[in-house]
Amino acid sequence: MALIDVQKVVKQFRKGPETITPLQETDLQVEKGEFVSLMGASGSGKTTLLNLIAGIDRCTAGRIVVNGTDITTLSRSKLAQWRASNIGYIFQTHNLVPVLTAYENVELPLLLLPISRSERQKRVEIALRAVDLVDRANHYPRQLSGGQEQRVGIARAIVADPTVVVADEPTGSLDAETAEQILQLIIQLNSDLGTTLLLVTHDPDVAASAGRQLKLVHGKLVDDRRAQPTVSMRQEAM
Amino acid sequence: MFKFAPYVLKTLTRHRARTLLTVSGAAVSVFVYCFVLAVQEGLARLTTQDDSVLVVFQANKFCPATSHLPQDYEHAISKMPGVREVVPIQVFTNNCRASLDVVVFYGTHAEQVRKVRDFELVSGSWDEFESNQDTAIVGQALVERRSRKLGQELSVGRKLTIGDVTVTIAGIYTSENRAEEDYIYCHLDFLQRTRGTDLVGTVTQHEVFLDASADPQQVASALDLKFKSGQVQTDTRTKGVFQASSLQDLIQLIDLMRYLGFACLGLMTVLLATTTVMGVEDRIREHAVLQTIGVTGARVFRLVLSECVLVSFFGGLAGVLIAVVVLATSSLSVGAEAVSIAFAPSTSMATTGVLVSALIGIAAGIAPAWRAAQADIVNALRYAG
Repeated sequence: MALIDVQKVVKQFRKGPETITPLQETDLQVEKGEFVSLMGASGSGKTTLLNLIAGIDRCTAGRIVVNGTDITTLSRSKLAQWRASNIGYIFQTHNLVPVLTAYENVELPLLLLPISRSERQKRVEIALRAVDLVDRANHYPRQLSGGQEQRVGIARAIVADPTVVVADEPTGSLDAETAEQILQLIIQLNSDLGTTLLLVTHDPDVAASAGRQLKLVHGKLVDDRRAQPTVSMRQEAM
Repeated sequence: MFKFAPYVLKTLTRHRARTLLTVSGAAVSVFVYCFVLAVQEGLARLTTQDDSVLVVFQANKFCPATSHLPQDYEHAISKMPGVREVVPIQVFTNNCRASLDVVVFYGTHAEQVRKVRDFELVSGSWDEFESNQDTAIVGQALVERRSRKLGQELSVGRKLTIGDVTVTIAGIYTSENRAEEDYIYCHLDFLQRTRGTDLVGTVTQHEVFLDASADPQQVASALDLKFKSGQVQTDTRTKGVFQASSLQDLIQLIDLMRYLGFACLGLMTVLLATTTVMGVEDRIREHAVLQTIGVTGARVFRLVLSECVLVSFFGGLAGVLIAVVVLATSSLSVGAEAVSIAFAPSTSMATTGVLVSALIGIAAGIAPAWRAAQADIVNALRYAG
C-alpha cells in the first residue's frame, strides 16, 4: 500500500458568485522514501494538493490516506495532532517565530510530542547538525541570512522525524546560489535519511532534481514521470 | 502546558513599548479601583460597627456643635439595665462642612479612654495624659497628616493648635480601627472650659457600652423614653447607624464612586482587548505556521489567552502595590460631622484587585484568542503579511 494515497480528491471553493475548482478528481499514490516534485502554472492546484496532503486544508470530496490514516475524516484538533507527528512543512518564506532562537524554533514541533527534555535537546542538535547550523543555535531569525533561515525551517520540518516532508517552493524566495544549496540539502535529506518528500515548484530545474515529477494543469495530473535527477545535482549531493 | 511558557513570555517582549503601556494602563485602572474599594471598606468599617455600642445624641440635632446633653445623664444611663459603661464625650471640630479635612477633638474622662478603646501608644505615656489636663493623645494617621501639612514633625511634648484649642501631645496611638487614628482625645473638663464656660456641665454625646446579653434596640428605646420628658430629649442609635446618618451625603458620593471603579475596569478590559487583538492581527501568519506544525486551535487559544491574562495580572499587581503603598503612607481620610472615613489598605482589597485583574485578562482575551484559534490556516499563510 502506498504511503500517500489520494483518491478522487476534489477541492472547490466559492469566490463571490463563482465556484473555483482547483482540484478535479485527482488521484495520486506516493511510496515511502519517494521524492516527488509537483509542477504547474499558477492556479494549477499544486499548492492546494500539497496542503491537502499536509492536512492543513480540507477537500470537498474524495479521500486522502497517509500512512494508513484517512485524514479526511479527522476532526480539526485530531488533524493538528496528526500533523505534529506525521508532517514536516517547509515554507517558501522561512516563517520562523521571530522571538525564538534557531534552537527554540527547531524545538517547537517536539514540544507537541510526549518526549523528554533531554530527548528534545538531542533531536534538535541532530537536526541543526543536519543543516549545518549548530553554531547558530542561539541566534534569532533577524541575525540569520535568508539561506540560514531556510535551513532552520528545514531543521524544524525534519526534527520530529515526520512521515512526510512537504515543501512549498522552498527556494522561491532565495538567490540562485542559496537556492542551489537549499536544494542540495533537500536532496540529501531524501537520499541520506530516506525521507518521503513532496516538493511544489514552478522551476523545471528544481523539479528535475526529484525522482518523480508530476505536472498539474487545471487541477488534473497530466504528467507523471519517473526520471533520474540531473547528474550534477546528484553528484553534489553526494 | 508550561512547555510554551518561554514562547508566551518572549511574545510579550516582542513589542516592549506596547506591552509596557498596556501594563501601565491596567495598573492605573486597578489603582483607581483599589482606591474606590478602600474608600468603601473605610465606610463599611464605620457603618457596620459593633451593635453593642450606642450613641446618645440630642434629639433633632445633626451637628456636634448643636448637640448639648447634660453631662449628668451619664449617671442615669449607667443605672439602666443592660448598660455596662457610659462615656460622656464633648466633641469639637475645626470646621463644620467647610472642608473635608476635619480635625476632631474628643473630650472625655481620660482614664476611660484606655479602657474603652483598643489604642496602643507608639510614643508617650498614658500616665502623662491622665495626669495633665491640657494634654491629649493623638492618632498616628492624624499626626502624619498634620506633620505634612505643617511641614514639621509632630511629636510627644509638642503643642498642637487646631482652631482655638491648643493641647500638648502626651502620646501618639495606633488602633485596629484606622478611622480612630484621625481623632484627638483630650480631657473633658479641659475641652469644656477652654472654649468658654457655656459648655461646662454639657457634653455632645454619651457613648454607651452594653452588656453582651443586652438588646441594643430595646436599650436605645428605653433610654430615649426615659429622657423624653427630661431636660433635653435624646436620640439614641447604635454607633454604626449613628455614623452612617452623620455621613449620609458622603455615603451617596461614595456609592457613586463605585461606578467610577467599574468604569476604570471597563476601560482596562477595552485596553487589554484592543492590545490583544492588535497582537493577534500582527501574528495571523505566525499562528498559522504554529498550527501547520501541529499546534491545535485550542492551544493557540490558550497561548493568546495566557498572554492577555499575564499582561492584565502584572498590570493589576502593580496597581495593587501602588495602591497599598499610597494608602499606607498617605494616611488619607475624609470627615464630616466629627466622623472620619479612613482610607487604608487591606488584604481583601489587595486580593480583590489581583483577582479582578486576572478575570479581566480572561474576559478581554477570549474574543481575540478565539479569533486566532479559528483562523483558516491556508488563507492566513497565503494572504497574511
